[in-house]
Amino acid sequence: MGLSADDMPVFRLTLKDHLFSPSTLQVPAGKKVKIIIHNQDPNPEEFESFSMNREKVILGNSTGVVFVGPLLPGTYPFSGEYNPDSAKGQLIALPKEQWPAGGDDAD
Amino acid sequence: MSRTTVVTLLACALLMTGYCGTALADGRVVDKVYHPYVQPYEQEFEYRYVYQKQSEHQNDNDMAQKLGYGRAIADRLALELYVMAERRSPDDYHISGYELEMRWMLTEQGQYSADWGMLFELERVNHLGNFEFTSGLLMEKEFGPTSLTLNALAVYEWGNNIENELEGEFRLQYRYRYLPQLQPAFEFYAGENYKGAGPSLMGVQKFEQMKMLKWELAVIFAIDAATVNNTLRFALEYEF
Repeated sequence: MGLSADDMPVFRLTLKDHLFSPSTLQVPAGKKVKIIIHNQDPNPEEFESFSMNREKVILGNSTGVVFVGPLLPGTYPFSGEYNPDSAKGQLIALPKEQWPAGGDDAD
Repeated sequence: MSRTTVVTLLACALLMTGYCGTALADGRVVDKVYHPYVQPYEQEFEYRYVYQKQSEHQNDNDMAQKLGYGRAIADRLALELYVMAERRSPDDYHISGYELEMRWMLTEQGQYSADWGMLFELERVNHLGNFEFTSGLLMEKEFGPTSLTLNALAVYEWGNNIENELEGEFRLQYRYRYLPQLQPAFEFYAGENYKGAGPSLMGVQKFEQMKMLKWELAVIFAIDAATVNNTLRFALEYEF
């Protein structure tokens, strides 16, 4: 995890061979977070999550940004709409008392 | 509540009071409530149907249809072209005009306390030589599992058969995101001689490879309209 210029926690997801990595991303509940998605596949993919109310097309070999939250503690599944069978993952929003608890360094 | 949230809510309140107070539009006020989002590669066919029932004029009920094709032309910009047809009495069904619409997504979804976009529409009424240009702000804000969408529109009309005038329209939708296929909502509309509100239901069914079918159904009851009592609104979008 890193912090953006406006102190928003920043996380990174990578999409390669139609798989999200990490497939489980832990974020703090109650805070807006920025997720930078690197699509390393040559084709576009859409990050989609009904529970987070987000849809974002990320072009092939490029980067997209998704802002989510503030989320209640819980599990929020997401998928890649072009390859929903393989491009799947979940975001776990952890309550304050369980945070910090992992996440990748972003910046 | 953050300062940006307060500013956004104040702006919404100003938009609502300003436009409701001077609601002046001549055309059909009940129409789609626009969301401020555009996706790259977005492409769609769209059908809209509106039926307005006037209880005191049984043979003067108004039916209008729109058929459109649209696509994103940039990451945040989408164009859509419509053919419109309507009838007022049972035997005068006709192609009534054409409309070009542009939606512009101003902010990334979720980046700020509310999401913003703009709408521009140019409409030509076929046989009368009249035109209508609409521009306005689209706003959406999440409240947990619900979303509030506001459209504040300015409409300028000119042509051979109408007096040139600037009008205002306001549309509101408050939606509960229950299931993708089933999202109940409440809608409110204000325009010239018209204020209406009522329940609506909408949803989206996704298919393979980004194909999806979106639908909306609303029944709007006039609050203080002079002529139109009830309006049925239906829309179907096929995105691919």
